Amino acid sequence: MLELLGVEKSYPLLAGRKHVLRGVNATFRRGERVGVLGRNGSGKSTLVRILGGVEAPTHGTVRRSMSVSWPIGMAAGFQPALSGSDNARFIARIYDRPVKETVEFVESFAELGEYLRMPVNTYSSGMRSRLGLAISLAVEFDCFLVDEALAVGDTKFGRAFGARLQRAGLILVTHQPSLVRQLCTRAAVLDQGTLTFYEDIDEALATYNSL
Amino acid sequence: MSGASARPLLIDCARQQVRVIGALVIREMHTRFGRRRLGYLWVFLEPLLLGAMIALIHGSHGRFSGETMRATFEFFAIGYILFFKFRGIINRATTTIVANRGLLYHRQVTLPDLFYARHIIESVACTGVLVIFVIAAVALGGAVPDSPMQMIWALGLMLLLSQGIALMVGAVTTEWEGLERLVHAFSYVMLPFCGVFFMVEWLPAWMQEIVLWIPTVHIFELLREGQFGDRVKATYDLGYLAGWILVPHLLGLAGLRLARQRIGLE
Repeated sequence: MLELLGVEKSYPLLAGRKHVLRGVNATFRRGERVGVLGRNGSGKSTLVRILGGVEAPTHGTVRRSMSVSWPIGMAAGFQPALSGSDNARFIARIYDRPVKETVEFVESFAELGEYLRMPVNTYSSGMRSRLGLAISLAVEFDCFLVDEALAVGDTKFGRAFGARLQRAGLILVTHQPSLVRQLCTRAAVLDQGTLTFYEDIDEALATYNSL
Repeated sequence: MSGASARPLLIDCARQQVRVIGALVIREMHTRFGRRRLGYLWVFLEPLLLGAMIALIHGSHGRFSGETMRATFEFFAIGYILFFKFRGIINRATTTIVANRGLLYHRQVTLPDLFYARHIIESVACTGVLVIFVIAAVALGGAVPDSPMQMIWALGLMLLLSQGIALMVGAVTTEWEGLERLVHAFSYVMLPFCGVFFMVEWLPAWMQEIVLWIPTVHIFELLREGQFGDRVKATYDLGYLAGWILVPHLLGLAGLRLARQRIGLE
């Protein structure tokens, strides 16, 4: 389970503070696939970083009793000057996974070909997100935390990724309603610093579209 | 991490930190020296070349005999490795966080870990070079060091002294990047005063009082006592040095703790 209790986050401005999250309460259960919809600048990335434990909330508590991935997105978690396989090795080491198997899995899954041995800063955005997702799948988290830029869709990679997700939890933070409909069973809308959950996805999408 | 419901055991945390630092060391070696095997040699060659150059310059000033050459090599080249270590650790501290920002997306990677990994590489390199230099000096007809353990001890203290300052520099750099230029200038200006070029006993009394305020001087005195034994009269105060190690560590770790919450990840 991953819980947010009264989470607030604000950043200092030149004068005063910018309040990004104003009291977020949420419970994500093991195996649940939740989509969080938010417009640009609504605090999506901040929320993801707090969920992932990368940033601490200004007030409130985060409780984490399952393994949650790092926020997987375009650049997150990589050393751009190193190759994809070196990055995979590094991540395998810090999450205590077998190094060789991880690289082999990424090789067979991410469809990067020769690029796996090239620096990550030569990758397209789609390649980066495939690398990030493939490495995180190899580590086998209880819950995958995905921030935007998800190059799934009806490709071979997309289908393989979707099939893997059937066995794991997902928190997907995005501004694309179609992804939420495709991958999630529950949805929430982030607006004005608060998070509202909807048991019905259509209701969440309707609310989001009216923002 | 704030308030995880099941608190992990201390031993698991320690194991995790060792894992992270180990992975960072390997990663750092790759980015710094490339993936070719020969690249790893560079970490040994760089101090070796610099130290040997200084020894040659000093040797050429005096009578150009084998004996003076060896003596200057023993004193200056071997001493210079410690300065190299000090300078390397402190200068790199200004870029440590920026260079590794992407890795902070993994919550088990902490800011101090980034520094420890770099310091381990620097220490292993400098210790290796020191051992090679000492063996070379003996091979050239010099005396065996009086106390090799004490020389290692001096290397360790230099690591801790530099580390404390590096943690502080790293924390301040997150707020004020201009510090980088100052740190580089400072580390060069330090060269004549840090203790690599003199023994305290060679100086007039009024100067001795001044240089003993400089923490690195105590470490060089300790090194030389281990190296030359009774042939030199060493002056050092380990209590004073301990203060210079502990206080910057505390300030630096506290500063990094605050910095972690402030640095933007993008």
